[in-house]
Amino acid sequence: MRVSPVAIAGIGQTIPVRRSPRSLRALCIEAVQRALDDAGLAASDVDGIVTDGTIMPATVPRDCIAAQFGIDRRFDAGTSFGGAGSACGPQLAELAIASGRAKVVVYYFGVDWGTRSSGPYGFHDLYPAKMTFEKPYGFNAQPIYFGMWTRRYMHEYGLEESDLARIAVTQRRNALLHPLSQMQTPMTEQNYFAARLVAEPLRVPDCCLITDGACAFVMTSLERARDLRQPPVTVLGTGFGSEAAGGDDVFTQPADLLRITGAKSACAQALREADIALGDVDFAEVYDCFSISCLMQIEELGFCKRGEGAAFIRERGIGIDGGLPVNTHGGLLSHSYLLGVEHVLEAVRQLRRDAGAAQVKDAKIGLVGLWSTPDYGVLLLGRDRA
Amino acid sequence: MSNSRDLPEHSGLSEHLRQDRLSFPFCRECDRFHWYPKPLCPHCKSAAIEWRAIAGPGEIFSYTVVRHAFDASWQGRLPYIVALITFADAPGVRLVTNVVGVSPDALRIGDAVAPIFPTLDEGETRVLFRPVKASIGKDSRNVAS
Repeated sequence: MRVSPVAIAGIGQTIPVRRSPRSLRALCIEAVQRALDDAGLAASDVDGIVTDGTIMPATVPRDCIAAQFGIDRRFDAGTSFGGAGSACGPQLAELAIASGRAKVVVYYFGVDWGTRSSGPYGFHDLYPAKMTFEKPYGFNAQPIYFGMWTRRYMHEYGLEESDLARIAVTQRRNALLHPLSQMQTPMTEQNYFAARLVAEPLRVPDCCLITDGACAFVMTSLERARDLRQPPVTVLGTGFGSEAAGGDDVFTQPADLLRITGAKSACAQALREADIALGDVDFAEVYDCFSISCLMQIEELGFCKRGEGAAFIRERGIGIDGGLPVNTHGGLLSHSYLLGVEHVLEAVRQLRRDAGAAQVKDAKIGLVGLWSTPDYGVLLLGRDRA
Repeated sequence: MSNSRDLPEHSGLSEHLRQDRLSFPFCRECDRFHWYPKPLCPHCKSAAIEWRAIAGPGEIFSYTVVRHAFDASWQGRLPYIVALITFADAPGVRLVTNVVGVSPDALRIGDAVAPIFPTLDEGETRVLFRPVKASIGKDSRNVAS
């Protein structure tokens, strides 16, 4: 295992809610302040800011945070969009810190899709072919794309609705162990099957939440992190992968349609950099925008073969005490939907052994896998002197 | 992005649909179809692209029955079926469309479907599909989608 030059020294988040009366700007500022406080650093210690490369620059740009906190930047960067950006933020921070370009780098990400009128569906209007060839047929929302994928997956691999229920029910159970989760009501398999169908075979609990909120984390050299308030969580390895598919095409046209683009190569890169095997991973926080995409990522990251995800989940278990605990805070399905930045924070809590009732016993290495099609980011985190 | 419908490479489908024909971009250089339209052929990068009409019978690659209106304009039309159709005479194309004239429970992946060309408001073009076995006639113009 490599000795990482960089560590996550502080984390901060707002309480995730369906609709916040506060601006996204105010939410991001709160998350950054909390992350600095958690690390025991002052804003004047920060000299680099990193975000995703698309959503934050258009909503709460980095200069806005710099101006609010009085940060003079020596390093400034963004990558990918949404989830893959959050998983790869540490990759950019490492470039800056290991080369001496910056000493303390803050990453933040948030969305206000609960209050924003177009919500998550505004996405479709960015893509010309979607506007022209899909929207007129009511193919206009992510649950519809994934409903269609799920039907095809069932046809090719024999998935049952109860396999999807198992994912949603397990993650709800995890969410109840976390005090900040948006979903605080228990859900049985019976409750799952009684829930409303959205785009068959997907029901409401197969779909991610909608959230207003923000998260942030602070990174610095491992050496410096050792002198700070929290136990350092080390960046063991990072990987970014993408494929030659545009946002227009990726849900309908690739010859091999049922694939999480970029995941395989991102995971291989991160494992190689960390110099570990996938079997060394103690828990995984993956981009569960839908129950089916959680299952498909378990396969695509290599925990099992394609088509074997349902059997893997049934036999090895993905609960806190399972063979591979997955989305230990409840994930996008039951914790919050901030496109996976909350998965990074949860992995940090697990490795600090600060996850309360959701703590994975002896957690030493965590994998965060975040998707923003066609991009994928993998972040492997560990404990200092594990 | 409000002018996205005006991309020149996007116009061919609707022009053919007005004449009750289904067509897709076809590269004269490498003799292959592609979808969605692009300025250059994604297979060989040639710009020698034409819209080539096909006979139309297709097969259901996948589908979903939508029971929630994500856009208010669909509120009165629930539930509706969105399907992805493949064509023996246009390999590599998967078309997003609505399947009508069938009970949602009766539809299966692999079912044969044929295009119908409904009469729509000025400026609107759409192609819908119906199962080949079902009772809606070839000339039906009364399509509730």
